[in-house]
Amino acid sequence: MNIQTKKTPIFVLIALLWIVCIVLGTIGHYVIGLVLCVPLIGLHLILGFAKKGVVSKKVLIYPLAIWAVLYAVAFILCGYYADAFAGVMPSFTVFGLHPSFAPVIFIYWIGGLLTIALGYYLLRDEWLSQKDWDEFCQEAKKIKEGK
Amino acid sequence: MSTTRVVVILLFCAAMIAASFGIGLWSKKKATTAQAYFGGTAMFGPLAVGLSSMAGVASAFALVGVPGLIYATGNAMTFWMLGSSAFAASYIILGKKMRAMAEVADISSLGDVCDVRFNKNRLIKALMSIIITLGCVGYLAAQISAGTALISNLINIPPIVAGLIIFGLLTAYTALSGEVGGLLSQAFQGAIMVIAGVVLIIAFFAVTGGFGNVLNAVGAASSVVGANGVEKQLGPDFLNAWGTQPGGISLTWMLIPLLGCVGQPQVLTRMYAVKNPLDLPKTGLVSGITHAIVSFLCVAMGYGALYLVATGNIDPLANSDDAIYAFVNHCGLWAQLLAYAAILAAALSSASMFLTSSSTLLSKDLPSALGIKIDPSKQIHVSRVFMIVLGIVSIVVSVFSSELVGLLGTFGWGTLVSGTFPVFIVGLLWDRCNSAGVIAGLAYAVVFNILPLVTGFAYPSALPGYFITCAIAVALTVVVSLVTPKQKLNAASKAVLDL
Repeated sequence: MNIQTKKTPIFVLIALLWIVCIVLGTIGHYVIGLVLCVPLIGLHLILGFAKKGVVSKKVLIYPLAIWAVLYAVAFILCGYYADAFAGVMPSFTVFGLHPSFAPVIFIYWIGGLLTIALGYYLLRDEWLSQKDWDEFCQEAKKIKEGK
Repeated sequence: MSTTRVVVILLFCAAMIAASFGIGLWSKKKATTAQAYFGGTAMFGPLAVGLSSMAGVASAFALVGVPGLIYATGNAMTFWMLGSSAFAASYIILGKKMRAMAEVADISSLGDVCDVRFNKNRLIKALMSIIITLGCVGYLAAQISAGTALISNLINIPPIVAGLIIFGLLTAYTALSGEVGGLLSQAFQGAIMVIAGVVLIIAFFAVTGGFGNVLNAVGAASSVVGANGVEKQLGPDFLNAWGTQPGGISLTWMLIPLLGCVGQPQVLTRMYAVKNPLDLPKTGLVSGITHAIVSFLCVAMGYGALYLVATGNIDPLANSDDAIYAFVNHCGLWAQLLAYAAILAAALSSASMFLTSSSTLLSKDLPSALGIKIDPSKQIHVSRVFMIVLGIVSIVVSVFSSELVGLLGTFGWGTLVSGTFPVFIVGLLWDRCNSAGVIAGLAYAVVFNILPLVTGFAYPSALPGYFITCAIAVALTVVVSLVTPKQKLNAASKAVLDL
């Protein structure tokens, strides 16, 4: 996907999402705010993965789409089970954890962290290959000498 | 605590400080150029950079304050602690661009990167330096205060003596070897934290029997009153996702550490310290996994203290920041040994990181932004002197002025995010971002980081003020960049932004 010409709309969206998140947090809709943080963070990741303005489809599917789904699901489950068991002991636990907190540990933290860190490592050439770096270093050398 | 235990713990801590000092002295021979001394630029592999970044991020606040907050208010703080493991995301977002800057120009500080991207705009550099310095000095004072209190509580010596011995040695080796010694000693200290983390996490499961027992004990008791007269409120909601904090706090404590990890100087500067940018994915794994271990340790210590209080094994804590100490004191000598070493390692690593960052900003970036020229051949010597003075002043202030430490302590993670996002994240990812936009974002961040302290100003929101300041600073940078004329990128910036 070529995002070279879409960077301005992406940054307008990023600015909007920051503002919407603080408004939602202020008026008490924090679960929706948490879910909207997913596109906010995701847009930064897309921009970071881009090479000469192009993001590979592979990267968009894994790790980015998988990560986004994991995060959104984790926050929704947190909100759902916190409300469902408000003021009472939960009727079940997940490996001993409160059902609203288990998604934080297993999906948000372990799932999210591993998806991004492993995906980045496995698809590192889609982010920066040796060839890209060598070409850049040649260009950088010319720029430095030009000074 | 018995005298034998205190002696063993002190000997262990002294050995760690001596080893850090030795690493610093050994590194001096590598810190021969300004790039090496100030930035450790393009010198290190993934293990050293990964461990040092983790140790720089996991401060004494993480090891002492986070278990304390979990003990006091439940799980909201876990979002922060677990989210700040986002090193891989940080490297994806900005890693290759920061490292690429070191190829197109001589980069040894964040101010140098700012110069390349914004054509040596002095106002941007000055505003950025002010905000980052506030954050770094605040962190530095907090680390010294925590490390000094730790040792002076163990043995009956005046805090200033403890401070001067521990952080005086740290200042000496950091001043001699700059960022090279800083980075390598932080990597060593990071390794200590990880080893302690693994053992103490096992101790948590051995003592409590697992999370289910903690939830049952905490959920079953609505409150506990100890023989010390202290009452602790508990209950079934205490260990749900949000804890006792409003949900907006969880929103803040998820987003700001996770996305804000890329805006921390200890992460940004390490991006150009890595020898080969192709190693950054591996670095992300090293720092992510090691930070995950330390994060889980912090969560486990908070849970462990809650379990001991809920089951009546210990009295409720008068001071929630004692949570980690209460748990390891219950476990015995080996746990105390590792916990004290880990806390001291966290304080030392973050202190050396923020000492080098703030002295580089104050002795190199800020003077250059103000038009003060320092002969490049004398720059290292000037900064060395400056670092020693800053180190000594910080020790004295941290020990004798708890009010000032408290004040500086408010400039933390969020302050740094508000100072770095306009310049580095928006600036290096978006070619349309211009000087006017960044100046608007930074000026807002400077004013609204300082205003609450001077006037007591507060936003009309239950959210922490730094979250709102960060959001508005980023939004202003984008909006003002769009409504002001586009600036032509210089060749170096264009090459980096296209990479």
